[in-house]
Amino acid sequence: MWKEHYRVGSDLIDTQHQELFRRVSAFIKVVQSDRPWEERLEEVEETLVFMQHYVIIHFADEEQLQQEIGYPGFEKHRQIHENFKAEVQAFAKTVELEGFNEEKVQEFSAKVMTWLIMHVGREDQKIGEFLRSKEVTN
Amino acid sequence: MRVEYINPFYQATIDVFRVMLSLEPTRGTLRAVEELVPVSEANVGIGVTGDLRGSLLYSFPASMALEMVRIMSGMEMTKLDAFVTSALSEVANIISGNALTYLARNSLTCDISPPQAFVGSKGAMAMSTEKAIVLPLITDIGTLEISISLHAKHVE
Repeated sequence: MWKEHYRVGSDLIDTQHQELFRRVSAFIKVVQSDRPWEERLEEVEETLVFMQHYVIIHFADEEQLQQEIGYPGFEKHRQIHENFKAEVQAFAKTVELEGFNEEKVQEFSAKVMTWLIMHVGREDQKIGEFLRSKEVTN
Repeated sequence: MRVEYINPFYQATIDVFRVMLSLEPTRGTLRAVEELVPVSEANVGIGVTGDLRGSLLYSFPASMALEMVRIMSGMEMTKLDAFVTSALSEVANIISGNALTYLARNSLTCDISPPQAFVGSKGAMAMSTEKAIVLPLITDIGTLEISISLHAKHVE
């Protein structure tokens, strides 16, 4: 899933993005596997717990970078992060109440995949462009 | 139904396909239809409310749908399951949201309803029966057709 042109130019952020893509890719493999759903449940649960924690750490680091470099789109970007965190939490709440349902998990994994590609492929690239423009002027 | 409502969808599709799929769609010949009818196997319907009202129907050939999700996920896809149709729904949702952002620059404020995916013509929702314009978007992996039926809240 990860592509080299997704790099923004910060080692920390690029490493975290690669880890996110790796995890989401592994998640999709589990969700789309032919093995009985019961056998896959544990891995699905683990990934969801990972996502809940890792996105918080990653978003915090990325927002800190944006503030350090004076990124003008910080507030808008932070709001996009908040909305995504809320979506992940809402899904976690749904499974807490209703349990893991294969179709719901398929829908959720597709949503996370498209969100991650679009966010890193477009929104985060604006941070990279800003970072590079600062390097040129400094 | 005004033709100027079409261009934002073309622009948004170019932008989203470039970022998500590394594909460069070109525009086919527009055609007018009497109602929104699915033309391919994988479909996503989206309702629009606000200054413009109506419906959007994204119709993807099955092979294109599977290839799009393969490009995004890096995994071979063999059937139009909930994962594939959800991914298509998200793509259609993102394109529609971006197109509405372009329309908002022309002082048209609209909202979209959550996308509804369906396979084949079965389960096609009761969509707008008003006239629509079909925008074909030709890519190396197939042609997506977006049927757009949007009408101003007041008399145009």
